[in-house]
Amino acid sequence: MADRIAGTFFLVLAIAYGLLASNYQTDFADPIGTEGFPLFVSIPMGLLSLALIIRPSVDVEWPGGKALLRQIALVIVLVVYAIALEPVGFPLATFVAVIFLARFLDATWLQCVMVGAILAVLLYVVFDPILGLPLPLGLLELR
Amino acid sequence: MDIFASLAQGFGEALEPFHLALALFGCFIGTLVGALPGLGPTNGVAILIPLAFALGLEPSAAVIMLVSVYYGAMYGGRISSILLNIPGDEPAVMTTLDGYPMARQGKAASALMISGVASFVGATLATIGLTLFAPLLARVAIHFGPSEYFALYLLAFATIGGIVGANPFKTLLAATIGLALGTIGIDPMSGVARYTFGIYEVYDGIDFIVALVGLFAISEFLIFLESHESLNRPKIPIGSLMSAIKDVPKTFGAMLRGSGIGFVAGVLPGAGASLGSFMAYVLERRFSDRNGTFGKGDPRGVAAPEAGNNAAAGGALVPMLTLGVPGSGTTAVLLALLISLGVQPGPLMFEKQPELIWGLIASLYIANFMLLILNIPLVGLFTRILALPYWALMPTVVMVAFVGVFSINNSIFELYMMIGFGVVGYIFRKLNISLVPIVLGLLLGSNMEFNLRRAFIISNGDVGILFESGISIGIHLVTAMFLIAAFALSRRKLPQRPQDDVD
Repeated sequence: MADRIAGTFFLVLAIAYGLLASNYQTDFADPIGTEGFPLFVSIPMGLLSLALIIRPSVDVEWPGGKALLRQIALVIVLVVYAIALEPVGFPLATFVAVIFLARFLDATWLQCVMVGAILAVLLYVVFDPILGLPLPLGLLELR
Repeated sequence: MDIFASLAQGFGEALEPFHLALALFGCFIGTLVGALPGLGPTNGVAILIPLAFALGLEPSAAVIMLVSVYYGAMYGGRISSILLNIPGDEPAVMTTLDGYPMARQGKAASALMISGVASFVGATLATIGLTLFAPLLARVAIHFGPSEYFALYLLAFATIGGIVGANPFKTLLAATIGLALGTIGIDPMSGVARYTFGIYEVYDGIDFIVALVGLFAISEFLIFLESHESLNRPKIPIGSLMSAIKDVPKTFGAMLRGSGIGFVAGVLPGAGASLGSFMAYVLERRFSDRNGTFGKGDPRGVAAPEAGNNAAAGGALVPMLTLGVPGSGTTAVLLALLISLGVQPGPLMFEKQPELIWGLIASLYIANFMLLILNIPLVGLFTRILALPYWALMPTVVMVAFVGVFSINNSIFELYMMIGFGVVGYIFRKLNISLVPIVLGLLLGSNMEFNLRRAFIISNGDVGILFESGISIGIHLVTAMFLIAAFALSRRKLPQRPQDDVD
């Protein structure tokens, strides 16, 4: 079933991709043109998706319960981390994010705080002053 | 012979103290990454690329460090295969078949010793093969025109589609997805923006490092959240390594055969180390399994695939360096790095940047010796690091990925994109769709398109140009053979292989 859904998704994608290609026509002295290669790719993509729908392989076992909740939580934490990185600053954001990441892997709260603090400081020191890559300080910035 | 003069010059480059230190660092990190379950060479090199940028390394220094990581990861893969029955990477899967039974019989030291020596033999023979073969191929490849290159790109996708055991429909579909992703952005030939939908961040195309780190590092965490409860790590005593040295000579034949097969498999564009170790194991079993001891802890069943996968790793550098067409997923990542550093591999590199290429080849020899030392007398160090808890390890990997991607362009948008690729990569891995062809497609797409369009401009639209030269016809024939073989094999029942197809 998973293969059939994926196949349908990619089939729609291949058709949309191929149809959109014709928008990119140019009158440039180029027989293939801007639209030729996407068309050339969309055909095998569509055919292979069709093959997936017709001949799906063994079904996938998707996670449920705790594992799925943790995966969703992980993605949320990572997105929030990316949003917060500049306003909050690298050290604080990393500290908080790592606490969650370690917690998802069953560390105790003490271990989480430890690994969070170590990573936040270590990565900041290694990348910013030592390697010279400016990382945002955010709230910690002294004005 | 001018090869020796060039190689001597290369050694001059590679033996500089700073370069030696980088090689040692690379070998150490590589072995470590290779040994950690789930983190293969592709992941390892991908995660370390931002570090190479951050260190502000010159191209030659960055390349020396990363090829050392690459070779190191190939060596390290065997450690967790033997001790934990968890392959650190895809090519190490075959090593578990006889390595883990050996460890359970109390012969872990012997298995580690044999596989270490086999890795050294395979990698060294392949490096010699590379030294002799690459300049020759470069001399031929200099006459390649756009239609020959186009044929080569097709071959790369066909061979990767033929990875034994994987569903070729899915592998090839992944390649087309990668190619489609590669067309996003401004078309360099006409200046038209394609598939950007007004998002100005993607006008330059999708940065493959962002895609790569997301697809591999972030998806790894998601996979891990699902499986880590089943990973319990029994402690296996290793015993004295030096007393195991007597077991090595019996396996020399298997090592040599494995190396030969591995090198050839590696040289084929796209196929890579997984195919090398798989074929080396299967053929060795057919050749020398007389008493049915393979799969139950036969030392030759450890020696052959380890020699094969390391030889293939060396072989895979041949098409990457001489043609600019990577021979495996990891060499695709190395190629991405070289391009990002402003170096375009291909036949011209041998003429224009001999110091870079020969420095790289010389450092492969040096890395091999360093790895032999790291992997045999010091193997205990790595087995101890294997005991590092995952709750410390995985967050480190993810945070290094974030800092690395952020450091490329200081772009938050690219972080979102990386997370997105991570989720997509996870779903693809669950569906058993290999990620390597996506990366290859994304990486090679623009060159493939460029060569196709150039060929047609030259011929004024005549399709015949694609089949004009003997070389392109030959390449197309090999491509067709691979595709037929892949689909024919997929109809037969093959042993199920683990879902993460990372080599």
